[in-house]
Formats: sequence, C-alpha cells, structure tokens
Amino acid sequence: MEAATIAHEGHGHHHGPPEPNRSSRVEAQTLGMYLFIISEIMLFGAFFTAYFFIRVVIGDEWPAENMHLPVAVAGVNTAILISSSATIHWALESAKSGNRNGLKVGLLMTTLLGATFLAIQINEYVNIGFPPASNAQASIFYSLTGLHGAHVFIGLTLLVFATTRAFKGHFTEKEHRGVEIPGIYWHFVDVMWIVVYTTIYVI
Amino acid sequence: MRTKHPIIQMLLIGVVASVAGVALALAIDWFPIAASTAAAPIDELYDVLLIVSVPVFVLVMTVALYSVWRFRAKPGDQSDGAPIHGNTLLEVVWVTIPTIMVSALAVYGAIVLEEIERPAANAMEVEVTGQQFAWSFEYPDTPGGEPVQSNELVLPLGQQVHFQIKALDVLHSFWVPAFRLKSDAVPGITTEYRVTPTKEGRFDVVCAELCGLGHTTMRQVATVLPPAEFEGWLAEQAKQSEPAADDTMPASATDEEEAQ
Amino acid sequence: MTFAAKLKGPGWYRALLSVPLSLAFSTALVVGVRALYGWDPLFDGEAITTVALIAMPLAFLVGIGCFDYWFYWAAGKPTRDEDHSGHGAKTWKDYFRVNTDHKVIGIQYIVTTFVFFTIGGLLAMLIRAELAAPGTQFVDPNTYNGLFSVHASLMIFLFIIPVFAGIANYVIPLMIGAPDMAFPRLNALSYWMLPMAGIMMVASFFAPGGAFATGWTAYAPLSTEVPLGQQFFTIGVQFAGASSIATALNFLVTIITMRAPGMTFFRMPLLVWANFTTSLLVVIATPFIAGSQFFVLFDRALGMNFFNSANGGDVIMYQHIFWFYSHPAVYIMMLPGFGIISEVISANARKPVFGYRMMAFSLCAIVVLGFTVWAHHMFVSGMSAWLRVPMMITTMLIAIPTGIKIFSWLATLWRGVIHLTTPMLFALGFITMFTLGGISGVMLAVIPVDIHVSDTYFIVAHIHYVLFGGSVFTIFAGLYFWFPKMTGRMYDERLGRMHFWLSFVFFNLTFGPMHLVGVDGMPRRVADYAAEFATWNAVISVSAFIFGMSYLLFLYNMITSWRNGPKAAANPWRAHTLEWQVSSPPPLFNFDEIPTIVGGPYEYGVPGAVHGVFKKPEPVAAASGGKE
Ligand code: HEA
Ligand code: HEA
Ligand code: CUA
Ligand SMILES: [Cu+2]
Repeated sequence: MEAATIAHEGHGHHHGPPEPNRSSRVEAQTLGMYLFIISEIMLFGAFFTAYFFIRVVIGDEWPAENMHLPVAVAGVNTAILISSSATIHWALESAKSGNRNGLKVGLLMTTLLGATFLAIQINEYVNIGFPPASNAQASIFYSLTGLHGAHVFIGLTLLVFATTRAFKGHFTEKEHRGVEIPGIYWHFVDVMWIVVYTTIYVI
Repeated sequence: MRTKHPIIQMLLIGVVASVAGVALALAIDWFPIAASTAAAPIDELYDVLLIVSVPVFVLVMTVALYSVWRFRAKPGDQSDGAPIHGNTLLEVVWVTIPTIMVSALAVYGAIVLEEIERPAANAMEVEVTGQQFAWSFEYPDTPGGEPVQSNELVLPLGQQVHFQIKALDVLHSFWVPAFRLKSDAVPGITTEYRVTPTKEGRFDVVCAELCGLGHTTMRQVATVLPPAEFEGWLAEQAKQSEPAADDTMPASATDEEEAQ
Repeated sequence: MTFAAKLKGPGWYRALLSVPLSLAFSTALVVGVRALYGWDPLFDGEAITTVALIAMPLAFLVGIGCFDYWFYWAAGKPTRDEDHSGHGAKTWKDYFRVNTDHKVIGIQYIVTTFVFFTIGGLLAMLIRAELAAPGTQFVDPNTYNGLFSVHASLMIFLFIIPVFAGIANYVIPLMIGAPDMAFPRLNALSYWMLPMAGIMMVASFFAPGGAFATGWTAYAPLSTEVPLGQQFFTIGVQFAGASSIATALNFLVTIITMRAPGMTFFRMPLLVWANFTTSLLVVIATPFIAGSQFFVLFDRALGMNFFNSANGGDVIMYQHIFWFYSHPAVYIMMLPGFGIISEVISANARKPVFGYRMMAFSLCAIVVLGFTVWAHHMFVSGMSAWLRVPMMITTMLIAIPTGIKIFSWLATLWRGVIHLTTPMLFALGFITMFTLGGISGVMLAVIPVDIHVSDTYFIVAHIHYVLFGGSVFTIFAGLYFWFPKMTGRMYDERLGRMHFWLSFVFFNLTFGPMHLVGVDGMPRRVADYAAEFATWNAVISVSAFIFGMSYLLFLYNMITSWRNGPKAAANPWRAHTLEWQVSSPPPLFNFDEIPTIVGGPYEYGVPGAVHGVFKKPEPVAAASGGKE
C-alpha cells in the first residue's frame, strides 16, 4: 500500500485512500484497453458501413475504372505488419522471462516494421494516381486506409514510448504492463489491417 | 373505502377514467381535412392507437395516484413499507399483456401499410422534383405524347397517382397533409408513393425536411379536379409548352396559374 | 511563484498562452501547406478555422494540464505513485483546475452542464418568442434554424448525456465502495473535453454565415453545403463523443474491477446497473456518430464524395450511420435516469425495489433491442422499403422491457410508506410524463401513423416528453436527492415543491398541445406557420416562458442552499446504499476502510437487514490517522 509511505499534510483523515478491493481477476488497464478496442472496432464499423453502402448498395464498380490498387505491394505490406505482431509477442515473452535484450530488440523491430508499413502506405498514396476527391470509391479507399494509418501511427507512438522505457530499464519480469498493453493494441491494428486489406484490395 | 377492496376500487376508478379519457381523445378533431383514400385507414389506425393507449396511461396514473393517496406517510412516520421483493405471476402478466398488445398493433399497422401502398393498374405517373426552394412536377403520359412540365400540382379526382420523387440539391420531403402521405426527396435516388385523391379542392403541399434557408417557405398547392377538367388542364398545358418543347430545357416558371 | 514558472506549470496561465499559440500554428500550417502545393488563395479562412477548431481545444487541454502525467510517462521517467495532490477541493478555486477526485469532477460536470442547459433553455425561449405568432417576429429563417440546432445540440450533447455522467461520477464509486474511479486522470480529461465542445457549439453563432443550422441531426448533403458554422458542430461533437466514450470506459472498468467485497452484480444498486448498461451503449454506439461526422468533415474539408450522389456517394448512408448511434443515444439519455428513479422511489416509499432482477434484466434487454431499431427514424427517408416492418416490430417490442420498469416502480409504491419529498415528486412526475412520451413513441413506431406525423410537431412533443418529462425530471429528482450528500447542506423543500408543481403544470401546457398541432399538419423546424396554428402556438409560447421561469426557482434554491442551507445529516433519507453511510459531504477518499457487503441495497422493512458493514478501523491504521 503505497499511500502509507507518502506524507500528506492538511486533511485530518487518513494519509491516503484505502486500498480498493479487486473484484475481478482482469486488471483495470487491460480491461480498459479491451473496451477501447471495442470502441475502435465500432469506429471501423462505421467506415465499413459507408464502404458497404457505396460498394454494395449503390453498386458502382469496385475499384472504379480510374483506380488501380497495388494489390501486390499492399500484400507485401500486409506481411510486414503481420510479422510485427510476431516480434511484439516475442518482446513481451522476453520481458516476462527477464530477457532484457530480447525485449529491447523485439520492441525496436516492431517499431521499425510498423514505420516501414507506414512509409510504404504513404508512398502508395503519393503514387496511386487518383485523389480522394475523384469519386466515392476513392473517398472510401483513402478514408479506410487513412483511418487505419492513423491507428498505426498511434500504435507506433505507444511503441516508441515502450521502447524508450525498455532502454531505460523500466520493465521487469513482474511489471511489464507498459509492453503488454501497447502490444494488445498493436495486435488489434494488425488484425484490422487484414480486414481492411481483404475488403479493399482483395475482394 | 374501508369496506371495498383496494384493487376493486382502483379498477372502478380506472374504468371510469379510461372511458372518459377515450371519449375525450376521440372527441378531439386531430386531423386536417381528409382528401385521399389513405386518410381513412390512417385516421382509424390513429384512433385505435388512442383507444389502446388511454387505458395504459390511466392504469399507470391510477396506481400511482392511488398509492400516493392511500400509502402516504403520516408526518413523523419512520416505519418501513412491506418488504415485498417481487411476484412472479404479476411479472408474467405485465410482460404478456403488453406483448400481445404491441404484436396486435404491429400486425394492424402492417396491414394498413400494405393497404395504403397497394398499386392500382391504371395509376397515373407524376414526377416530383424538389430543389431549394420549390417543387416542380412532370406528367410523362399526356394525350400528345410530350411530357408536360408544371410548377403547379394538379391531380384528377378518384384516380391513383404514382409520385416519383427526386431531389436536385439536398433532402426535401414531399408532404400533402390532406393526403396523409409523405416521402423524402433524396438526391441520387427516386422515391415514390401512391395517392388516390377523394376530394376536389386546393390542398397545401409542404416541404417537411429541413432543406436550408427557405425550408419554411417551401410550400405550394395541390389542386384536385374532376377527371374531365383535369384532362382539359393537361391538354392546355401540353399546348402551351409546345413551343418551348423544341429546346429541351425544362419548362420554366412561365406556364402559370390559369389552371382553375 | 514567478510568472515564468506559472506559465510552465499546468494551469490557466499556460492554457491561455497555448491557445493563441495553437491558432498561430494552425494558420502557419495551412498557409505553409497551401504555399507548398501552390494553391490559391494562400490564406484560406475556412481551412484555418477547421484546423484551429481541432488544435485549439487540444492546446487548451495540454495547457491546463490534462496530459502532464502522461507526457512524463511517455518521456520514460519512472512511474510515480499517485500522490493525490490532484485530489479534493478546499476552495472554489480547486474546481477550476485539473482535479482527479471523482467527487470534484462530478460537481464540475454538473455545474458545467447546467450552464449549457441554461444557454440551451434561453435559446428555446428565443425559439418560442419567434413562434409566438405567425410571420417573422425578430429572427430571419437562417438564424431560426441556428437557434433550434444549437438548442438541441447543447441539450443533448452538453446537458443530458454529460450531466448523467456527472451524477454517476459522484455517486458510483461511493455506491460500490471504491475510493475513486479506476482511471482518475482519464476522468479529468473526459471532463475537460466537455467545455471545449460546448464553447465550440455556442461560438458557432459568431461564425460567418451564422451558427450551424441543420438541426441536431445534421443530415447530409445539407450539412456538407452550408457555411462554416457547421464545422463547429462536426468537430464539437467529436470532443463531446470522445469525452463520453472515455467516461463510459472508466465506469465499466470501475464497476467491474473495484466493487467492495461481497458486492456481487446482483447486490449492486440499480443506479450502478443503469450506468453499467448505459456505458456499454456508449462504448459501442458512440463511434458511429464520430464516423458520420468524419464523413461530413471529409466531404467539406477535403472535397470527398461520401454524400455526393453525382459522384457515387450515398445520401441515405448518413442517416443509417447517424441513427445507429442516435437511437441508442436516446437510451443513453434515459437509462441512467431509470437508475436514479429506482433509488429515489425505494428510499421514499421505504420498500425494496419490486422485481430487482427483472429491473436489471430489462435494462440489458433495452440495450440489446436498442441496437435493432434505428431505422424507425427513417420510415419516410426513402430507405429500402423492406426494412420498415422489421424495425416497426423491434421498436414496439421495446415497450415491453420499459413497461416492466414502469410497472415495477408502481409495485414498489404499492403498500409503501410514501414520503412526498421533492425528489419523490419529480420521480412521480417522471413516471407520468415518460409514460405519455413512451406511448407517443409507440404510436410513432406504427409506420402509417409515422408517415403522416414524421417531421411535425408531434415529434417535437414526443422529444420533449421523453427528454424533459423523462430525462430532465430524473435529473432534477437526482440532484435534489443527492444535494445533501454533495454539498453537505439541505435544499429548501418548499421551493423544491413549488419548482416541481410549476414545472409539471407548465411543462404539460407547453408540450401537450404540440401533439395537436403536429397531427393537424404543422411541420417542425419552421420559423413561420399557417394562421390556423396561431392560437395554440401562442398558448405554447406563453406556457414556455412561465415554464422557463420555474427553472429560476431551482437555480435560486440550489445556489442559496449550497452557500448557506442548513447542514445536512449523513443520511437524511435513511437510505441503505453505501453513499449514505459516510458523512455529507463524504471524506476525501470516500471510506476510511472499504466496507463489506452482506445484503441487497434496498432491504427496507426487512428486520435487521443491512447492505454494507464497516469494520472498526484497526488500531494500527487509526494511529496514522491524524488527530481527530
Ligand atoms: C430520452 C429519449 C427518448 C426515449 C426514451 C424514446 C423512446 C421511444 N421512442 Fe423516441 N425519439 C426521441 C427520444 C426518445 N425516444 C427523439 C429525440 C426523437 C426525434 C429525433 C429527431 O428526429 O430529432 C425520437 C423520435 C422517435 C421516432 C421517429 C419519429 C420520426 O422522426 O418520424 C420514433 C418512431 O418509432 C420513436 C419511437 C420511440 C419508442 C417506441 C420509444 C420507446 O422506448 C418508449 C417505450 C416506453 C413506453 C411505451 C412507456 C411505458 C410502457 C408501458 C407503460 C407498458 C405498456 C405500453 C404499451 C403496451 C404501449 N421516437
Ligand atoms: C434534453 C433535451 C431538450 C430540452 C430540455 C429542451 C427544452 C425545451 N425545448 Fe427543445 N428540442 C430538443 C431537445 C430539448 N429541448 C430537441 C432534440 C429538438 C429537435 C431539434 C431539431 O429539430 O433538430 C428540440 C426542438 C425544440 C423546438 C422545435 C423547433 C422546431 O422544430 O422548429 C421547440 C419549439 O418550441 C423547443 C422548445 C423547447 C422549450 C420551450 C424547452 C424548455 O423546456 C426549456 C426550459 C428551460 C429554460 C428556459 C432554462 C433557461 C431559463 C432561464 C435562464 C430563465 C429565464 C426565463 C425566461 C427568459 C422566460 N425545442
Ligand atoms: Cu425543402 Cu424543406
Ligand atoms: Cu429512436
């Protein structure tokens, strides 16, 4: 109970709050991340609904004739992102078993793979040859991949924090939530990409 | 009051209040003038909904007010009420009865919906176009074969009209309260409904979907004429628009008013 | 403290510095990008406003100090234990800083949302003044459209939804025996996002072209074509939505992981249940309104084509996405109120809530059904015709779980010992008004009726019966009920009753006749109307003004009682739930020791029944406990 150690002036009551009861086996932070992911899935759901209306309900051709989607490049990019899921898993396992170097290398690799993914994605935007304003199909293409890109960016930010902390030696066998929770998010970003890739590029 | 059982007492109050309530609700003249075949079934449906709703509301009110009157604490009373936690039978009842009620109403609603949308074989087509902030109309089948454009809506009495509704800019909603029917006009798609006018006269056409600055004033008139007069009007419109028909532009606001 | 230090540390100085900086940054960014691409003109006011609307609130949040701890964490500094320096309020000034105490945040929420309620209400008074007679009184149609749009948006996004979050923030940790929320800093951030959203919406009146004027529903493609003011809604809603999601997540985690020992789910007070289910709705549904507003933003700012039918866009898609949020949202605006009513009625009728389990299950049923009915707002929208009848059926089925609640409250009254306190009066008023509003809802669900009355004043009547007679009455009930707990003082009962009776009578005189004019053919959202509706509208307007005045009684009562009302006892209602077992107002950390729950929350009349027991503090703990 950390509160007992902190001097606290002023109020006449206790020095700190009573230790809250743990009424669930799930940790608060982990649960919070899962709930946040549910919310994120619904946000993607709204974008997929738009996609569904524009592609299926309106029934215009997909992709529109001026749109050439680089399926193969994006496929390679998919592989890159999936492998980053493996590396973050490895990083977490290393943290759990006290392998500091594994943790650092794993996080670093994950960050690099993620950054590569984002770079390829941006390069794709630059060279794809149609702007978001050209038609509804283009709008949905940019919005869905862009929404996902924004999530990769958020994930990368979290990973950079985790990596910094790993290099400063903050995580231990017992205390590694700072890797685990960004990791959950990163897996979500990967899985979501598979869905985006399949619906936008493949089918 | 000491002699009668409270439930019976409430039942009596409830029945009296319900009858009075239903009478009051039905005495109100709710609807605007009725001028289409859809009006009667819709108004009737509404009345039935009132008849069903009033007793539900009266039930709630009776129990609430009766309890307050009868079980109100005396000043200074610190006691607690009866520790009743539930009653399965009662709970089953108040799940079952509303379920039956709403199911029956839903079926009734679906039947009326089917009735007011039933197509007739000889329906006349009219295309309705909404734009900020006016309606315009096109009659595709005319004696001359050329479609007729008009800024006024004129309809034949007793003949089903099939409206096909379009929008040029934003959403509008094509509503004639006297007909009881409306549908949004949606950019990019054509919506529809069917009306059979049952009354001669002039009725308001109202835009019911917020469409910007002029939404309030986007009002026109629908004129229902006897079939023969309508044919005459249509023929005259066709003649008038003939010179304009070569330039394929839609007829502008020139053809006007003398429709009556 | 030196001035420089004040600017560096979290607080108003830094916030007021960072806001203009962010404006400068937005301008530079837009001009820079446009220069890079060689676009003309270099200085695009609309683009700058859009970027600034996003950047300025964020800058304010950074400045005031919502993110300080996380920045510290992100920079790789060692985690530090919460030192509770952000806890509690000793002076009124402590309410104006980033505070992590759920009780302070609760009050911040409630006061802020009532500010927006007052603004929204004054806008309603302007609406009624304009509609008092046919013809134009004093606003042009565009301003009028702005009035009701901002009115409704403030009422919904800045009042009803967050005020419930505020009440729950205060009460829930106390009710479940927790010292605070699970994520106190996130809680503070959620709160501070709200004024951002509200100020943005009100500020839209100063935008060129006027406030956003497309209703609170902001249907595309009108919303993609109107002037700049719309952007204030599109972006403001994102802040309100983010705040709402963050709070809901916090409630869920708090309720799941921090209940006191022995507090099983079926021993939770129904208010906790209500907020648990509401939070599920928020977490699942709110992203959809975010999505819908993103699309509008993209169409407006980036020229995309989501709603441009000429380029393959789909106009009706907006409504599907919007209502997939906004129908569940009406239950977000009602379920917490259901919770409040259960607390108020059981304590004031001195009886256990009848059918406790069914009350909890019916909340869950409403959540599930609530996701299956959105298209009842679209019966005349031109959507796929086959969708209508299924949606009618699911919509009407919602009457059943809602009926379970109404009937159970009635059965709770039955054979109780009823104390007609102000909260109880509002609870009874709620039952009456909400039943009426619910019934008119069921009538609307019947498609042929809806085809006629959709977009008329019948809808306006329904809205206000469920939202004012429903939600706002529960809020009044809840505030009077917990006022002694929150402030440590008692409100004036006589004024409270007067407030109730005036509101109740003039509420009905204001909104009752709207049913009549609606069915008779008066469309909503119009600044002018046919002469035949003049009489009723005059009645409505006059009643609305008196109704508005009755709110002044409430304000007066709250303000004067808070300042110098008589001191309240710990448990003036002799209620059993945990928040009443601690002092009024509660101690800084709620409990000296977490209680143990041994029974249900409402065992009134059961001999010897207790909800929670407090162990005597152990001598060791007491030794460290200061002098008292
Ligand atoms: C707190 C907010 C709230 C709540 C709780 C509700 C509850 C309900 N609403 Fe309402 N509604 C709104 C807020 C709310 N609504 C708003 C803001 C709009 C307009 C949006 C806009 O366009 O701007 C709207 C619009 C709206 C429409 C669309 C109308 C239109 O635009 O054409 C419909 C149609 O079905 C509808 C139906 C219902 C139904 C069936 C319920 C049900 O949940 C009600 C259930 C309750 C009861 C039925 C009463 C108690 C039950 C009993 C006593 C049991 C016995 C009863 C029977 C057997 C009938 N509502
Ligand atoms: C919780 C939600 C809520 C609340 C509380 C209210 C409260 C009120 N509303 Fe609102 N309203 C909506 C939600 C709400 N409304 C919604 C969702 C719409 C639909 C908008 C749309 O179409 O997009 C709407 C639309 C709407 C319209 C229809 C506009 C139109 O379609 O053209 C009208 C018209 O009368 C109206 C009136 C009122 C009135 C008189 C009050 C009153 O109850 C307000 C009373 C409160 C006060 C007045 C507080 C301030 C008072 C003082 C500070 C005292 C000073 C008093 C005086 C100056 C007299 N509202
Ligand atoms: Cu057109 Cu309103
Ligand atoms: Cu709804």
